[in-house]
Amino acid sequence: MQEQNDKPPVFKTWGAWYWLVLAFLVLQIVLFIYFTKYFS
Amino acid sequence: MSYIDWIVLIVTLALIVVYGLIKSRTSKNLDGYFLSNREMPWYIVLFSIMGTQASAITFLSAPGQAYTDGMRFVQYYFGLPLAMIVLCVTFVPIFHKKKLYTAYEFLEKRFDLKTRTLTSFLFLLQRGLSTGISIYAPAIILSSLLGWNIYWTNIVMGGVLIIYTVTGGARSVAYTQQLQLAIIFASMFIAGYLVVKYLPEGIGLFDALKVGGAMGKTNVVTTGFKGDGGFDWKDRYNLLSGIIGGFFLALSYFGTDQSQVGRYLTAKSIRESRVGLLMNGLVKVPMQFLILLLGVLVFAFYQFNSAPLFFNKTQVDKVMHSEHAGTLNEIQETYEKADEEKKNLVRSFAANGNFSLSETEKQQLTNINRQRDSLRTSFKKLVEQPGIQGDSNDANYIFLRFVMDYLPRGLVGLLIAVIFIASWGSIAAALNSLSSSTIVDIHKKFINRNMSDKDDYRLSRIYTFIWGVFCIIVAQFAYNIGNSLIEAVNILGSLFYGVILGVFLLAFYFRFVKGNAVFWSAILGEILVVGFFLLNENQIINLSFLWLNAIGALAVVGFAVLIQLLFARKLS
Repeated sequence: MQEQNDKPPVFKTWGAWYWLVLAFLVLQIVLFIYFTKYFS
Repeated sequence: MSYIDWIVLIVTLALIVVYGLIKSRTSKNLDGYFLSNREMPWYIVLFSIMGTQASAITFLSAPGQAYTDGMRFVQYYFGLPLAMIVLCVTFVPIFHKKKLYTAYEFLEKRFDLKTRTLTSFLFLLQRGLSTGISIYAPAIILSSLLGWNIYWTNIVMGGVLIIYTVTGGARSVAYTQQLQLAIIFASMFIAGYLVVKYLPEGIGLFDALKVGGAMGKTNVVTTGFKGDGGFDWKDRYNLLSGIIGGFFLALSYFGTDQSQVGRYLTAKSIRESRVGLLMNGLVKVPMQFLILLLGVLVFAFYQFNSAPLFFNKTQVDKVMHSEHAGTLNEIQETYEKADEEKKNLVRSFAANGNFSLSETEKQQLTNINRQRDSLRTSFKKLVEQPGIQGDSNDANYIFLRFVMDYLPRGLVGLLIAVIFIASWGSIAAALNSLSSSTIVDIHKKFINRNMSDKDDYRLSRIYTFIWGVFCIIVAQFAYNIGNSLIEAVNILGSLFYGVILGVFLLAFYFRFVKGNAVFWSAILGEILVVGFFLLNENQIINLSFLWLNAIGALAVVGFAVLIQLLFARKLS
């Protein structure tokens, strides 16, 4: 029952969720660097 | 404040209390009162986590921080998404599978009772004091700006929420946080829209950002390296301190502070907890970015309009009624001239229709702003003079001063309400967690082990009320701490968080380390952290408080491994 509850939504594995969070962080940092340079 | 503002303020606050009471129906036992019967969906968990972390200071301080120091404060949150991943991999499954009420229960199962008691005691000490300061910090700002009595402001700030927190426990806390966040975000969005609308005709968001950028306010990412190539350890907000220091801080806060652990333990499954935490990892950085962006827009607004010498009027009045009134008048006169010059210069740039300023134009604007900053510094020195000894930091007053001076009636009341309800969200979660740790980790362990569900429920409500009163009392005495209240809360957290995190890391990742080694290493680690803090305070070393979390955690792990290996036989 617990295992059934632990299935991640959208993706097949939790690993995919972790990669999504990580990739979004990297993307934000890259965009922020661009933002900093563009407006400075 | 106008009558309309008062009506909006009172109706908004009453709405929260009534909604909290409506949502207070829960089963009368520990599971119902502290964990909402473990039935919450992920989005309630997400709002509850966010509402607990975002206090009034988040919405007052961050725009002011961007106004004075630029947007680099957002880097403080870069470690948070990484911490969410580690929590989901390690902490969440264990906490859920063991059906815990508090995070510290796990430490008894893994080590021994004394380690559990030590960490829960450190939590109660740190959270109890910092919640008191969290009540006082926004209360003193509202009291100064609106001329309210600080005693009663503290009571409303920390007291009214007790009604629904005592009645409905974690369920009321979670549901009110959902409504609170909706009101907060809607109000902040309207405020941001109006700042841009109030810019001179033809000036839009993009131009405002270029003005802010020309003055170094759009510095979202900074490296922390000095001109000579060395790393500045004292620099609080840069990419490295944000990712490493921010990671340890977020892991400690979300993984070991019961005020947060108690939120995701209310989820109906591991899955719901994980999704709530991961969504927090996705939305937290953009949310902080937008709040800071609001500060840059307010900065741009004040480039086109007259900006006060000092945003906290109470301090200006204090100096005006002192022997330094003459000096203040001189500073004020020179400041107004410089401010007028700045306004004309920026408006002339606007008339040219080109905000891609040349280096010469940037230099002109920089020079005038430097002159204004230097006059502000001269005024701050007056505020610090003996006999006045006021608060020389006006960063927390910038946004609210703008709200009071420029926003329409009704919206002022709504934004004042935002300050209250943002406070209530984090204080309510803190009271709920203080009560759960007191009853589960202390009362049921040392005072009465055999209590019925009815007694558990009754006593939980009493402890919630007692902690509420305690935090208000701390708030009433918080003026003794000095001016830098937000810093006091952050430093207080950093003194304990790292050590508690170290204990949890040992529990999860170092199976061979036993209770005695952990207990003594926690004490040694705490001494080391306090030692570093004192060395920094006495200017013997230069170290930002953010690093204390990493030092505390790594020291406890290092000491425990060493003690276990060296004294394995004696300890067993």
